[in-house]
Amino acid sequence: MEILRVENLCKSYQMGEVEVKALTDASFSVEKGEFVVVLGPSGSGKSTLLNIIGGMDSPTSGKVFFKDEEITGFDDKKLTEYRRKRVGFVFQYYNVMANLTAEENVELAMEIVENPLPIDEVIEAVGLSSRRDHFPSQLSGGEQQRVSIARAIAKNPELLLCDEPTGALDYNTGISIMALLSKLNREMGKTLIVITHNSDIALMADRVIRMRSGQIIENTVNENPINAEEIKW
Amino acid sequence: MTKMDLMLVRMIKNSKSQFLAVLIIIITGICVYTSMSMASANLSDTLDTYYEENRFPHLFVQVLGVPVQVAERLERVEGVGKVTGSLVMDVPVLTEDTEKRKTLRLITIKGDEQELSRSTLLSGRALSDNRKEIWLINQYAKANGIKAGDEIRVQISGADYTMEVAGIVANPEYIYLLESSQSIMPDDEGFGIGYLKEPLGRLIVDEGQNYNYIRIEYEPGAKEEALIEAVEAQLKPYGIISSVKREDQLSNAMIQEELLNLRRLSDSLPLLFLFVAGFILMMILSRMVKKDRLKIGILKAIGYDNQQILLHYVKYAVMAGLAGGLLGSTLGMALAGAMTKLYLEFFNLPLLTVNFDITYIFKAMFLAALFCLISGVVGARGVLKIAPSESMREEPPKKGKRILLERVHFLWKRFSFSRKLVMKNVFRNKKRTAFVISGVALTYGMILFTVTMPSVVDQMMNLHFTEFQKMDYNIGFYKPVDERAVRDLYHIIPIDHAEGKIEYPFELSRGHREVTVNILGLKKDTQFYSFKDTSNRMISMPERGILLSENLAKTLKAEKGDLIRIRSLLTEKEDVEIPVAGVVKQSLGMNLKSMRAQLSGLEASYAMAKETVSKNKILYEQGVLSRQEYDRAVTAERELAAQISSPAIFY
Ligand SMILES: Nc1ncnc2c1ncn2[C@@H]1O[C@H](COP(=O)(O)OP(=O)(O)OP(=O)(O)O)[C@@H](O)[C@H]1O
Ligand SMILES: [Mg+2]
Repeated sequence: MEILRVENLCKSYQMGEVEVKALTDASFSVEKGEFVVVLGPSGSGKSTLLNIIGGMDSPTSGKVFFKDEEITGFDDKKLTEYRRKRVGFVFQYYNVMANLTAEENVELAMEIVENPLPIDEVIEAVGLSSRRDHFPSQLSGGEQQRVSIARAIAKNPELLLCDEPTGALDYNTGISIMALLSKLNREMGKTLIVITHNSDIALMADRVIRMRSGQIIENTVNENPINAEEIKW
Repeated sequence: MTKMDLMLVRMIKNSKSQFLAVLIIIITGICVYTSMSMASANLSDTLDTYYEENRFPHLFVQVLGVPVQVAERLERVEGVGKVTGSLVMDVPVLTEDTEKRKTLRLITIKGDEQELSRSTLLSGRALSDNRKEIWLINQYAKANGIKAGDEIRVQISGADYTMEVAGIVANPEYIYLLESSQSIMPDDEGFGIGYLKEPLGRLIVDEGQNYNYIRIEYEPGAKEEALIEAVEAQLKPYGIISSVKREDQLSNAMIQEELLNLRRLSDSLPLLFLFVAGFILMMILSRMVKKDRLKIGILKAIGYDNQQILLHYVKYAVMAGLAGGLLGSTLGMALAGAMTKLYLEFFNLPLLTVNFDITYIFKAMFLAALFCLISGVVGARGVLKIAPSESMREEPPKKGKRILLERVHFLWKRFSFSRKLVMKNVFRNKKRTAFVISGVALTYGMILFTVTMPSVVDQMMNLHFTEFQKMDYNIGFYKPVDERAVRDLYHIIPIDHAEGKIEYPFELSRGHREVTVNILGLKKDTQFYSFKDTSNRMISMPERGILLSENLAKTLKAEKGDLIRIRSLLTEKEDVEIPVAGVVKQSLGMNLKSMRAQLSGLEASYAMAKETVSKNKILYEQGVLSRQEYDRAVTAERELAAQISSPAIFY
C-alpha cells in the first residue's frame, strides 16, 4: 500500500538576483513499511525534500500526498497536526532538550499525542533503560541520538524521517543507530526514510533514491537488503 | 506538570539572577503601588472619621460681627443642622525673642460635646469656666516647646494677658496650619491657634454679644446652593467677609490636594516601574527566543503549535509578574502601616486604626500579571516567525548597510575601529537606540527636575517680591482705619515711604460667569506694586477700570474693554459696572502644591489677588482697581471708603 507520493516537487530560493533551485521536478512514491534511503552529495536537495515531506517546509510547486491527503495544501494548523500525529523526526545533531532527562525528552513528545507507545517499551527498544534519568550532558553522542529516536517513535508515527542520523557519530555508533532504525522498521512496521552520505547504508534499504543538483537521478528497489551488522567489514 | 513547564522551571532555576532582577523591579513597583494606595486610602478614611467625630462643618462664614441670636436663628434655615459661632481674633504673642513675630489666633469655644469643629485634647485638661486659660494647638506648642501647664503671654487691644495653657489640642480646621491663603508655608513657630471659653473671650475681646465666625453643619440631603443663599441673605446686613464651603476651607483644601497628589503619585509611579520591568522582560524574552531558535524549531517539528510555544515563554513573564505582585504587595502592606503613620504625623491627625485591605494584593497581582503578560507576548512574539526547517540552519546575519555617518568622511576617518563598531551598532539598531536614549533622558529629566525645582520656585518668589511687590513690610489692621493712620506712621517710625491699600472680597460677574475674589484697591501712584501686561510691557494704574490677572480674565472670559459687574459682599450697595482696563501677568499664579496658597497676593500688581472658588478647585486670581474706582465701586459715599482703607504698606 502506498503511504507517500511525491509529484513534480520543486523548491527554489531567491537569493537576490540569482534563483537557487534546491529541488527540481522530484517524483516518487513510498510503500507502507518501506525502508527508503536517500543518497546524494552535499547541496543536492536531500534535506529540502525531507523537510517538505515532513510538513516543515512548503514547495514552490508540486504536490506531496500522505495516504489520500495532499499535505502541500495544508494550512499551518493542519501541518502542525500532521507533524504531531503522523511524523517522527530525527536530525543530524541529536537535538534533545538540554534541561530534560532522557525519559523526559521522550515524554515531551508523548504529551501531545493521543496514543503514544508505552514509555518503557520505547526506552527499552532504543537501549536506554539504564540511562533514562540522565541529562543530555551526561550522555554520549550516540546515546543522545537514541534519545531523539525514542522521542520520534514514542508518538507512534506512521512515518519516521531521519536527516543524516549518523552524520555526527563515529562509524560503529552509526552502524548501531542504523541497526536500531531498521529494527524499528521491521518490528514496528514504521515507514522509514533516511538521508545519508554513506552508500554502505543504502545496502540495508528496500529502496534507494539518489539525488544530484536537486534532481532524483535514480530510484531503485533493493531486492536483498542486508542487516546492519553485516555492513561491518 | 507538563514537560514544557518542567523545562520552564529548570530554566528559571538555571538563570536565577536574571529572574531575580526582573522580580526586584516588579516588587519595587508593586510595593510602591500598594503602600501608597493603602496609605492614601487609610489617610482619607482617617480624615473622614476625624472630620465626622469632631463635627467638621460644611460651611464657614466670616462676618464683621453678627449678634448671637441672629447666628442661632440660622439653624432654622432649611437644610442647616447645627450652627456654632465663635469670636476669632489674631493677637501678637509676647516673647523674649524680638526678631520673630508670633501670632496667636484666639478662637472661642463653647466647650460642649455638640459644638462644631470640636478639638481633640491630646494632653492636659479641660478648660474651666472661670480661669484665664487656653488650649493651644499641637503644631504651635510643639514648635515652641510649650507644654500643658506652661504660660503664654499675648497682647490684646494694647493690654498684656498671661494665660495658662491648660491643654494641647488638635483641631480639624487647622490640620494644615496656615494663617491665611496668603501664607506661603505653614509656620508652626510663628502662627498658632488658641482656644478659649466664650465668656473669657468676650471679656478680653470686647465684641459685645457678637460672633465674627460662623460654622454650619448641613442636614443630610441639604441643598447647598440654596442654603448658602439663604444664610448669606440673613447675614448680609452684618457684613459677610467670606463664606467658604468645606471643600474650599484652607486646611481641608490643602489636605485634599495632598491626598490627590498622593493618589496621583501612587497611580503613576508604580506604572513607571512596571513599564521598566515590562520592557526588561520583553528584552529578556526576545533574546531568549533568539537564543532558543533551534529548540523552538525542534518543538515545532515534534508537533507543538505556536500558541503552546508562545505560552511557554509568556508563562515566564507571568510567573515573574505574579511572584513580584505577591511579594511586592505583601511588602507594600507592611510598609503602608509605617507610611500611614508618617502621614498622620505629618498632618497632625490624632489617630486611629490602620486598615489592611487585602483586595490591594489582588489588584497588585492582577496589575503586575497584566503588564508581564503583555510584555511577555510582545517579547516572545518572535516565536511565531521561526519556521522549523529554517531554524535548523544558521540565521543569516543582518545586512550591514552603510550608516549615514560613514559618508561624513572627515569625521569617520578619525574614529578608532572600536568606536566605528559602536557607531554602527547605534545606527543599525534604531529602535533599541531610541529606547535607550529616551530611558536615559527620562531619568535625567527626573533628576534635574527635583534638583532645579527649588531654585525655580526661588526665582519666582524673587521676581514676585522684587518686581511686582516691593514693600518690605505689611501692617494689617483688625478693623479698617482712616487714611490718616498712614501719615501718622511717618511720625511713629522712620520710614521712606508708606501707602495704604484696601482689600475686600467682591463678586465679579460677566454674563453667567461669576467668581468671588478679593479685590485690592491701590493708590494711583503706588510705588509698591507694578504690573506687566501679557506681552511683558509695564503698565501703570489706569485712570478708570479694573486690572484682571490672567487667570481671572480667563475665568470670566473677559478682555480689555469688557464691562465687569461688581457686587459688594459687605454692604447692600447697588452693583457697579467697571470696564477692564487691562490683563496683567502673574509670576506666581500657577498651581503649585505647597506654594499655591500664598501666591495670590504676589503677582499682580496693583490690585489684589484672592482665591476664588470654581467648581472644586481653588484658583488664586486677582483683580486690580484704582483706588478711586474702588471707592466708587464699593461705596458711593466717601465716608465708607475712608473706613475701608485699612491695611497700610510701608518700607
Ligand atoms: N533557506 C535557504 N536559502 C537559500 N538557499 C537554500 C536554503 N535552504 C537550502 N538552500 C539551498 O538549496 C540547496 C539544497 O540544500 P539542502 O539543504 O537540501 O542540501 P542537502 O542535500 O541536504 O545537503 P547536505 O548534505 O549538505 O545537508 C543548497 O544549494 C542550499 O544552499
Ligand atoms: Mg542536509
